Amino acid sequence: MGKSKLKTVMQLLLVVVIVGMGSLLARRPAHADDQSLNRVKQSGTLTVGTAPDYPPFEFQVNKGGNQEDVGMDIDIAKQIAKNLHVKLKIKNMSFESLLVAVQSGKIDMAIGGINPTPERKQNADFSKIYYSGGQDFLINKNDAGQIKNKNSLKGKKVGTQTGTLQQSLAKKDIPNAHVVGMDKTPDLVLALKTHKVAAVGVEKPVAQAYVANDHDLKAIDSGYKLNKNDVGTAIAFKKGNTSLVNAVNQSIDQIHKKNLIPQYLKDAGKHMKVNTNNTSMWHYWKYFATGVEYTLIISVVSVFFGIILGIILVLMRLSKYKFLSWPSIAYTEFVRGTPMMVQVLFVYFGLGVLVNIPALTAGIIAVSLNSGAYVSEIIRGGINAVDKGQSEASRSLGLSKKDMMASVILPQAFKNIWPALGNEFITIIKDSSIVSIIGVTEIVYELNIMRADTYRGVAPIAVAMILYFILSFSLSRVLNYFERRMNHD
Amino acid sequence: MTKNDEQALIQVNDLKKSFGENEVLKGINGNIQTGQVICVIGPSGSGKSTFLRCLNMLEQPTSGQIIFDGKDLTKFTHKEVATLGERIGMVFQSFNLFPNMTVLDNMKLAPKKVKHMRDQEATEVSLKLLYRVGLKEKANVYPSSLSGGQAQRVAMARALAMNPQVMLFDEPTSALDPEMVGEVLEVMQELANEGMTMVVVTHEMGFAKKVADKVWFMADGYIQEKNTPDQLFDHPENERTKEFINKIINEDE
Repeated sequence: MGKSKLKTVMQLLLVVVIVGMGSLLARRPAHADDQSLNRVKQSGTLTVGTAPDYPPFEFQVNKGGNQEDVGMDIDIAKQIAKNLHVKLKIKNMSFESLLVAVQSGKIDMAIGGINPTPERKQNADFSKIYYSGGQDFLINKNDAGQIKNKNSLKGKKVGTQTGTLQQSLAKKDIPNAHVVGMDKTPDLVLALKTHKVAAVGVEKPVAQAYVANDHDLKAIDSGYKLNKNDVGTAIAFKKGNTSLVNAVNQSIDQIHKKNLIPQYLKDAGKHMKVNTNNTSMWHYWKYFATGVEYTLIISVVSVFFGIILGIILVLMRLSKYKFLSWPSIAYTEFVRGTPMMVQVLFVYFGLGVLVNIPALTAGIIAVSLNSGAYVSEIIRGGINAVDKGQSEASRSLGLSKKDMMASVILPQAFKNIWPALGNEFITIIKDSSIVSIIGVTEIVYELNIMRADTYRGVAPIAVAMILYFILSFSLSRVLNYFERRMNHD
Repeated sequence: MTKNDEQALIQVNDLKKSFGENEVLKGINGNIQTGQVICVIGPSGSGKSTFLRCLNMLEQPTSGQIIFDGKDLTKFTHKEVATLGERIGMVFQSFNLFPNMTVLDNMKLAPKKVKHMRDQEATEVSLKLLYRVGLKEKANVYPSSLSGGQAQRVAMARALAMNPQVMLFDEPTSALDPEMVGEVLEVMQELANEGMTMVVVTHEMGFAKKVADKVWFMADGYIQEKNTPDQLFDHPENERTKEFINKIINEDE
């Protein structure tokens, strides 16, 4: 039970990031003097991280055009904040990032249908289990005659979220099952509806929510034998924050005593009805508008700093001093040799240990740092393509190296490389989608929220594609215009 | 040599230059007096251009001395070499105008950046020089719209805008269509008449005969013969010179 789609690979990457940064810092003694509860109370704010693409646990509603996090987990978080007499501040990010955010202190706690597996318990502390719903399979209604429970799935294809409890249960308890792993539930449901898998293993409330919104689907009980204490969902904390954990556990006890969970689920159901009342993409235009806005902010700012960094890197590289050229070469090679996704994680969580940077800023920094390396290589090519006579003429006139670069070489180099730079800008627009992983509300992030909210698997993707195309195509028109204007010769 | 070495504006002593294993200049000696026009002629690959490019340190000589105004250029630091731009102008075979700026901006760039001239002053100086080379109406066009002859005249004006003591010409007419050679040589001759010190690497023997004070014949990395144009063309002394002059005369016939 519990959304635990943290993949092994992802875990490894994050561990590398954390360990890497940890070694830069003197480790604070975790248990000796636990101030976690005092810190929250003094700051007057409880910062909670979540990944709102998992109804009914947490998702977003379109309230008068504004997106707002709702769901059972959000109600629980509100209750906890109320009991602590502090304000609640919710930070949205991808599920993969939640535990890292807890460990690096970006958030006080993470709630998001997290299942406290033994591996996770090594890296984070957990509250009591606050919810334990049970396991279901989603199947196509037409198959209801043949598929009754896990035993009917022998030798069939079963879809689960990668690295989750559902996946290990399917592998362990269904003989000869072919278990297919994917990252997001909407993708799994899409696979089910297109008959790529026979069933999808999900939590009971998730299954019920889907059935309520899609009449071609049916939910059946899994038939797994489960120990409730092992498979519930709990709230994650930084290791050693015992005082905060204890305070939260008191709130959970209170919630259980007042039997508030069924009420929370009912509220979530109401919100979901509102969401699915009108699943037309027009109704969600504000989601897309926000996505486009942030995609543009990231792209424009990153391109600007990317070019500045690129110029600096290339001037360093062309310097006759090794202490300048060598770091530039090393930087470029390193950035080109590591995935941008890891770089984004590193900047947000790694540097985040030293300075607290907001996700958007971290995203922009990471994309700029990445782009700078590529831009510097493009510029270097452009400079090499400028006729040698140009620098000789400059030297014969006594121009300094700086004046020669600024007035003669770089303007010509930029003209040479304009098409290649344009390519790089378009790549940035598209690759900026990677920063959705740290919860920056750009197009892909909004797209996933919307797919989760509306239970429409394909339409938002189509809209996102069109939006990306419009952005890229307009940009290439603009670049062409400037290219023509630069053509003196 | 009639004049004393002490008075030479440029004095070249045993200048050598190698590119890797290939020794291009094997020991050049010579003096250039203020106001003199020296034409350097010789077969292709004889090192004429390399010699010229050593004079303003576009190439760093391997050994030897270039004494300019009493100072050895080969010992100059990068900063000091940069100051040569104000004193030695150079005109290239392929013009090397900056295609990203107008003719006027091409000319104003170095006076403003290097001599820190005010914009208005740089404009005045540039327009005056453009007038002199007969291209005042081209001030605001980009180099791509100029003919080869016009481009080379602008390149000369650009070098002159720095008010140099010496002008170096590296085959200034070799890249030109034949009908444009005349207009460039004409400007060069005017410049010579005004008393500019000039070192001209050229294949234009007519120009050398008419304008040069001295003609240096270079071959195989040495200056084989230095003489007045009349002597060198009509009564060459050196065997290599004779061979070269004969060849040219035969080609012309």
